Amino acid sequence: MDGAPARQQRIDVTYTCGECGADNQIKPREPIRCKDCGYRIMYKKRTKRMVQFEAR
Amino acid sequence: MAPTFRTLERQQQAVVPSRTGTQFPKLAKLAAPHIDSFNALFAGTTPAASSGAAALPSGPGLLERAVGDVGSRVVFDGQRDAPLADRNKLELWLSGITVAKPSIDAAKGALSNVMYPAECRERGVSYKAKMQIRLNWRINGGPIQTEARNLGSLPIMVRSSKCNLYGKSPYELVQHHEDAEEFGGYFISNGIERLVRLLIVPRRNHPTAIVRPSFQNRGPTYTKFGVSIRSVRPDQTSQTVTMHYCSDGAVTLRFSYRKNEYMVPVILVLRALCDASDREIFERITMGMYSNTFLTDRVELLLRSFRRYAVFSRKQALSYLGSKFAVMLDSPEDAFEEDVGREFLRKIILVHLNDAKSKFDLIIFMLQKLYSLVAGDCAQDNPDSLQFQETLLAGHLFVGIIKEKLGDYLDAIKTQINTDLRRSASTVNFSDKKYMQRVFARCSGAADIGKKLEYFLATGNLVSNTGLDLQQVSGYTIVGEKLNFYRYISHFRSIHRGSFFAELKTTTVRKLLPESWGFLCPVHTPDGAPCGLLNHLSHKCEIMLDQIDVSHIPQLVASLGAGQISGQGPRVAAAVPDSDRGHSDAMDVDGDDYGDDDNDDDAEHGDQDGVVADAGAELRNRKKVLVSVQLDGRVIGWCRDSVAQRIAQTLRDWKVRQLHRVPATLEIGYVPPTRGGQYPGLFLFSSPARMVRPVRYLATGGTDYVGPFEQVYMNVACMNEDVVPGLTTHQEFDPTDMLSVVANMTPFSDFNQSPRNMYQCQMGKQSMGTPAQNLFHRTDNKLYRLQTGQSPIVRPNAHNDYGLDGYPNGMNAVVCVISYTGYDMEDASIIAKSSYERGYGYGTIYKGEWVDLAEHRRRGEPITHHFGFVAAGETETTLSEKALTRALQFIDLDGLPIVGVRLTQGDPMYAYVDDVTGKVYIKDYKGMEDAYVDQVRLIGSDSGDQELQKIHIRLRIPRPPIIGDKFSSRHGQKGVISQKWPSIDMPFSESGIIPDVIINPHAFPSRMTIGMFVESLAGKAGALHGHSQDATPFRFNENHAAADFFGEELAKAGFNYHGNEPMYSGITGQEFKADIYIGVVYYQRLRHMVSDKYQVRTTGPVHNLTQQPVKGRKRAGGIRFGEMERDSLLAHGVSFLLKDRLMNCSDYSQCHVCRLCGSILSPMQRRLGVAGETLDATVPSGGAAAATTASDPASAGRVVECMTCGTSRGIEVIAIPYVFRYLCTELVAMNIKLRLDIAHRA
Repeated sequence: MDGAPARQQRIDVTYTCGECGADNQIKPREPIRCKDCGYRIMYKKRTKRMVQFEAR
Repeated sequence: MAPTFRTLERQQQAVVPSRTGTQFPKLAKLAAPHIDSFNALFAGTTPAASSGAAALPSGPGLLERAVGDVGSRVVFDGQRDAPLADRNKLELWLSGITVAKPSIDAAKGALSNVMYPAECRERGVSYKAKMQIRLNWRINGGPIQTEARNLGSLPIMVRSSKCNLYGKSPYELVQHHEDAEEFGGYFISNGIERLVRLLIVPRRNHPTAIVRPSFQNRGPTYTKFGVSIRSVRPDQTSQTVTMHYCSDGAVTLRFSYRKNEYMVPVILVLRALCDASDREIFERITMGMYSNTFLTDRVELLLRSFRRYAVFSRKQALSYLGSKFAVMLDSPEDAFEEDVGREFLRKIILVHLNDAKSKFDLIIFMLQKLYSLVAGDCAQDNPDSLQFQETLLAGHLFVGIIKEKLGDYLDAIKTQINTDLRRSASTVNFSDKKYMQRVFARCSGAADIGKKLEYFLATGNLVSNTGLDLQQVSGYTIVGEKLNFYRYISHFRSIHRGSFFAELKTTTVRKLLPESWGFLCPVHTPDGAPCGLLNHLSHKCEIMLDQIDVSHIPQLVASLGAGQISGQGPRVAAAVPDSDRGHSDAMDVDGDDYGDDDNDDDAEHGDQDGVVADAGAELRNRKKVLVSVQLDGRVIGWCRDSVAQRIAQTLRDWKVRQLHRVPATLEIGYVPPTRGGQYPGLFLFSSPARMVRPVRYLATGGTDYVGPFEQVYMNVACMNEDVVPGLTTHQEFDPTDMLSVVANMTPFSDFNQSPRNMYQCQMGKQSMGTPAQNLFHRTDNKLYRLQTGQSPIVRPNAHNDYGLDGYPNGMNAVVCVISYTGYDMEDASIIAKSSYERGYGYGTIYKGEWVDLAEHRRRGEPITHHFGFVAAGETETTLSEKALTRALQFIDLDGLPIVGVRLTQGDPMYAYVDDVTGKVYIKDYKGMEDAYVDQVRLIGSDSGDQELQKIHIRLRIPRPPIIGDKFSSRHGQKGVISQKWPSIDMPFSESGIIPDVIINPHAFPSRMTIGMFVESLAGKAGALHGHSQDATPFRFNENHAAADFFGEELAKAGFNYHGNEPMYSGITGQEFKADIYIGVVYYQRLRHMVSDKYQVRTTGPVHNLTQQPVKGRKRAGGIRFGEMERDSLLAHGVSFLLKDRLMNCSDYSQCHVCRLCGSILSPMQRRLGVAGETLDATVPSGGAAAATTASDPASAGRVVECMTCGTSRGIEVIAIPYVFRYLCTELVAMNIKLRLDIAHRA
């Protein structure tokens, strides 16, 4: 994991619109609305971080 | 050619869904009863006349009709005691109801404000549309003033005509995140799919003879005899009226209005309907049968006993009724009594008829039927039989509720005005627009009908003042669970008898009656509590919802020979010369097509082809019986039985041939006269909500839609060999027509013992499968998914018709019937480990979780909670470094879980922060199993201008098959996995095949599931030849045996004809002495998995009061060691084990008891030296030394003393179950002393 977690965060996470599929950068406290189509549902993208589980 | 799997076709459809119509019209029709009934609410959307009936162009919708029937309310202003003429009269009524399509009004910056069902599901909101109505009023009959009022939002049924998906093609459906074959029929309430359950209600507009002992409780002289009719208005609301026979000769009509019961003498009603003299009434009832003294005596008594009311004319009768029912009807203060009487007749008495004459005629008919029932001439009708039943549908129920609530709305306005009047009459001014506005505004709560309907849908509870003529208040709606597709379909096809009957101790209502043949599936009913009450419609059964035009039917019937009622009414044939009867004169009308009735009825003996198998004089008498011809409960004529029979035949012929505009779904119920049978007559039905089903009409080969009423008196053959020439008129299209969709999916079900097919219907609905195709857009709380579903090799034709390849429900498995490992006792089965490793039966559970931060604040208050780690206005999180580091392993900086991360119990799942306190809350994953975050959905507000408050997290729990998981074939053969057997140790055949599953041969002899053997053969043959196999039941017979058919196929592939093969032990490599039965069977994985069921505990939480272990798996509780278990240990004589279970491992406790008084409650601990005592003074002997429990250092310097004996001499410590102590205290509370006799063991 990233050793020094950003205590001050100004990170906007990218979400996918549930209607048009456009990427939306939504900052904290911003309304949930697609910038392209105005749709009201967003999906969080799968993490880019390596996900590895114990393989048995 | 052998049937194929249509793999390419399906692939093509999956990649490019059709842009025109559905691939599976049969599947699309399954929810038709729901959708069509909902569409009937609105004008201009009469359902597509599937049966080719003459559908009305577009009548007013049911809502419009209901609004018209709500009527008006009248209020007077001024003082109560002032004369009416000095007061202003306000009339209020409603009109013009409109319903929009679901949309979001406030959607800011959105491309479209159209709302689709998928969005409702994903956002957890309801699918509804704005509803409006016009509220009209006028003062003193002056000009009409109108205002549009909002009625809230009406829940909209998916894929109905008001749904935004209406008429969309599979391609468009997929565009809108639905399944390509989405068929709708349900509502979405807070994101959950709910549907209104079909209910069975009494057949409308048909008088039913009922013998019910409880009728005697209605009052003195009441007998058990009655004739009941459920009259249905054109707006589909109903009013039941029951005619009671009293032992003193009186006959009363009983009805219930606003949950109160009322009784009215029938003669009073007859008098009010029509200015008929006593003589006329007498003649009409007796119809000239003066020789029937039973009848004449009673009618005479009936008429004579009514004289005491001194009501002689119609006017008098109406006024009398009006005076009695003015309060009940809440009629205007200025209404004349006569008018109130008329209103009473309109609103209560036989509401399906709108003219007095028809009502009069029908009441006469009911009286005749009642007397006939009392005399024993006719039998009682069975209200539990489908013949006298129809369905209650979502749309019709909706109209009823909306209509009642609209009435309540007007009442609320009236009440509001009256309240104002009482407070201060001067403020009330009808002509003041401001005042009226204020009144309307105050009543806006009553106007929000949408909210009430939403509540109804969400809970299934019917909140009603009138009861809507229904027998239950709850259980109207169910969740359309998408456990798998079978279960989902079944919800739409299930039909319930009513929760009232569930409590009934008698089982008569649960019986499978022959009347339900073809309409209700005999196989598909659950076993257990709802058995026989919860049925499923046969897959060919339809529910008639077309508004069909029958206005010309009375003329047709008359032209075929039914006479009209005139003057003294019809009489029995004996009393009237033949020339009087009206049938011969009309023969020329439209007589060009019916050649079958050449035996004109000029003589009685010409009609000997009747159905009555009796001979002699009685037959001739019965032929002369005059029977009533009714259309939808309206008497449209009378004729002799022979004529009625011919009318019925002719009408049926015309109906099938589509001649003379006889609608294809008209039900022609001809009941022949019999001795002591059902009351005869010709009953025609055209009304909606009836069940109909197609059968072949043998005369023309055409399709006849048959209803349950007429079917009883028809001769419908099932198979070809059942056809009796000259008798059989109809034949089933296919014997499988009687089965429900799910029952149809059992392959070769005709080979199985019938209970096994019932079990399969249950297990098919419990299997893990493919619940939906739009899994990405679903937010269900729990979803079971089979990862490796396959298309079954062996499948009935119906499987293809209903497109079930889109929703695989199991896997084709190589099954070996052999006793091999010893791990296959009691239905356990072995699976090969490599099959498991290749994904056999691999399943997944999706669990959904909503998180709504709005729950932390009150409505209207500003947002104070946010997802994330940093509060508003802050720059840093208040979280400790350590906690933050841990949280960030699972949660992103936005406070939401990382998609794809694995969660174990106690891991952080999401984080939010409270602005006010600045505190960061980290919520943990609570589940016991490891799960993966599958999807995180951020949900915006309606208007799209609010920051994130609501999310939906979907977790994925992998569930590979493990020992103890339940599997079953499609033949009611269920079992659990007992071992994953190493493949090298599995037996193998000569071609090197090893089975996926081994089952024990003992599973077959007692269960007789021959269908499974046949499936095994067919599956093996199909797999070898690479084609699918038709497993539709009733395709094979003695001359064309299934075993031979598939045996040939096997032999052609070089395999043993009988399906046996020589096999070798995987352990020793030696050949078995016997050949082994091995084949391919489709296996379902059932959702009952050990991971959800295992329960284990050593120590854990205990109950507060009893100190015994709590129960319940969720609370880490124990398993009850009950009485029977106790008995078995006693019988074994293992008392130490018994003590261990019931005492040591349960509520073992130690307590003090006083040997002297025997009480365990009186010993109390007391601190020494409080009253200057010393240890020596109070403890005289060593016997009580134990009383100062030395083991407990805290009690040093304390002494235990008996409060009653005042000494610690007798104190002992004993071991007792803790509940015993509780029992003692409870007994003390009841003033009962419990004494223990304690002594030291010698």
